[in-house]
Amino acid sequence: MKAKLLFAVLFFTLVHPFTAVAQVRLDVIGPGMPKYPIAISPLKNAATRADAGRISEGVADAIVYDLDLSGWFRVLDRATYIEHPQRSGDTLGSFDFKDWSTIGAVGLVKGRFSVQGEELTVELRLFDVTQGKEVIGKRYTGRARDFRRIAHKFADEIIKQFTGVAGIFNTRIAYTSTSGGRFKEIHVAHLDGSEKYQVTNNRTINLSPAWTPDGKSILYTSYKDRNPSLYLFDLFSGKDMKFSARTGLNLGGKWSPDGQNVAVSLERGGNSDIHLLARNGNIMRRLTEDPGIDVSPSWSPDGRQLVFVSDRSGSPQLYILDVASGKARRLTYSGSYNTSPDWSPAGDKIAYISRVGGKFSIFAIGVDGGEPTRLTTNGFDNEDPAWSPDGRFIVFSSNRAGRYHLYVMQSTGDNQRRLTGSGGDDTKPSWSPRLE
Amino acid sequence: MLDFRMACYAIMAIFILLAGGCAPSTVTKPDLPPAGSTGSEGGALGKDQQLGEGRGGTTRESNAPSTSSLDQLKAGKPPVTPSSSPLKDIFFDFDSYDISGDARDTLRSNADWLKSNSSARIEIEGHCDERGTSEYNLALGAKRAQTAKDYLVSLGISVERISTISYGEEIPMCTEANESCWRQNRRARFVAIPSRPAS
Repeated sequence: MKAKLLFAVLFFTLVHPFTAVAQVRLDVIGPGMPKYPIAISPLKNAATRADAGRISEGVADAIVYDLDLSGWFRVLDRATYIEHPQRSGDTLGSFDFKDWSTIGAVGLVKGRFSVQGEELTVELRLFDVTQGKEVIGKRYTGRARDFRRIAHKFADEIIKQFTGVAGIFNTRIAYTSTSGGRFKEIHVAHLDGSEKYQVTNNRTINLSPAWTPDGKSILYTSYKDRNPSLYLFDLFSGKDMKFSARTGLNLGGKWSPDGQNVAVSLERGGNSDIHLLARNGNIMRRLTEDPGIDVSPSWSPDGRQLVFVSDRSGSPQLYILDVASGKARRLTYSGSYNTSPDWSPAGDKIAYISRVGGKFSIFAIGVDGGEPTRLTTNGFDNEDPAWSPDGRFIVFSSNRAGRYHLYVMQSTGDNQRRLTGSGGDDTKPSWSPRLE
Repeated sequence: MLDFRMACYAIMAIFILLAGGCAPSTVTKPDLPPAGSTGSEGGALGKDQQLGEGRGGTTRESNAPSTSSLDQLKAGKPPVTPSSSPLKDIFFDFDSYDISGDARDTLRSNADWLKSNSSARIEIEGHCDERGTSEYNLALGAKRAQTAKDYLVSLGISVERISTISYGEEIPMCTEANESCWRQNRRARFVAIPSRPAS
């Protein structure tokens, strides 16, 4: 089926580092630092065949998109570039750094590609213009139509070079969208909107997609059999499995970091409680015993605790539950509506939404409580925060442009960028783990 | 979405024509937040903003409960309870599942119909307005449906005749971003038990 075709070849690209350069950590980007000026040249076509896939500019465009999204770079306008990519060299000594320092570049990406049959080979290099040296050099091979994935891989390398931790540009976002009309379906797409794939098409209501830790499947809740049950969709085989179909809500399923359990909110007789399910969907333990609402569990990275939402105090607030002992403590005290928690990959913070002046804003709070930090401050609703796998970004939904669209920002709240614009409402994003 | 909005306008237009006429008593007064409730922040509604539920909605045979909101969604119809339905909606305050005085009157009248139609079985749907988180709203909708069910059971209706389902904020009756619309969406609906798909 369609899913199989799309995802079976996801991890095909090979990487050959061909430049052995000592990893020089350049601590020149990051929060509080000025943006690093960098030029991304279109690639040189090394074969005689015409660039039918627009790969030359396509690879450059994808790298520009990624670096721009990070918020740490100032990508120089291509119109100001002096060199013509096809007529100048892309290796050290075959071009003049002055052509780049003149326009203000400190960093420079150059490269070449060739297509033979369906196979694409791309070489990409990062240069330090000021020091006149090569910093990274990589060769990639893959299918011609996957050129964007190659670009994202190189963008990840650039981020690693500058920060010591690879970027997150080879990831995907699962989300719900009403783009097809009145039905809410699950979709998956790259951060740049490419390789969009519709996971469900059952013409009902599908909710709360969540990636499995291996990045291969998506847990979600669907009304396709009337009862809001939990399903597991395998992106590689296209197989859709009923995971928990107990009468009532089977909602907000989240796979534990070790892949052994699922935390989920099960509702019976109006009372929702957090439960721990085994891999086969059987109930292992009921984790909350409260008569009120208990929903939206999110695991701590060590799998020992869960943050969840409860109205046991009379209004929705965040609580942290110790899975072994079952003891819960209240985390949020300011505001009368705090929901949608997501535990950060570093383990130290929880992103959530809080209602302020009738609008919803995204906040982050330390796991030990204290003063929350407000991350969105516009006069619109900002909801559904989800951390990137490196913890440096948060994806969320906002109605600041009319309908709900997905946005990404740095974990500080800076550099907010719109990701989607489907025409419907795009909500409830879940950020995949790093994909190869 | 557009259909819902159109239906909303249609309902409003028809109501204005009929203003002063026969708006059901259950919805002509705004809900007052019960003591201790989180309260509604939209302010009280003027009477002209109140909507007679179901007016202008789908045509149905008289004296039969309405159909499931999920089926209405599938059919591309707004989940409006027609005025001919013997079972009327009840409405709630923001983030509340307390049954108001008006809602009690409606539930008593719904219970009377169930008593005189003793073979009828119903499903109670819990709905919420669009504000807040979809998961929390689904749990809130489940509370609303259950509270309504408990009240009917306390009035002598057999628990076996009533099932519940929550649609949270997912199937709104009205899609404008204002209190008069939100208020209509914070409701419990009483519908005929939908037929299950053959499995």
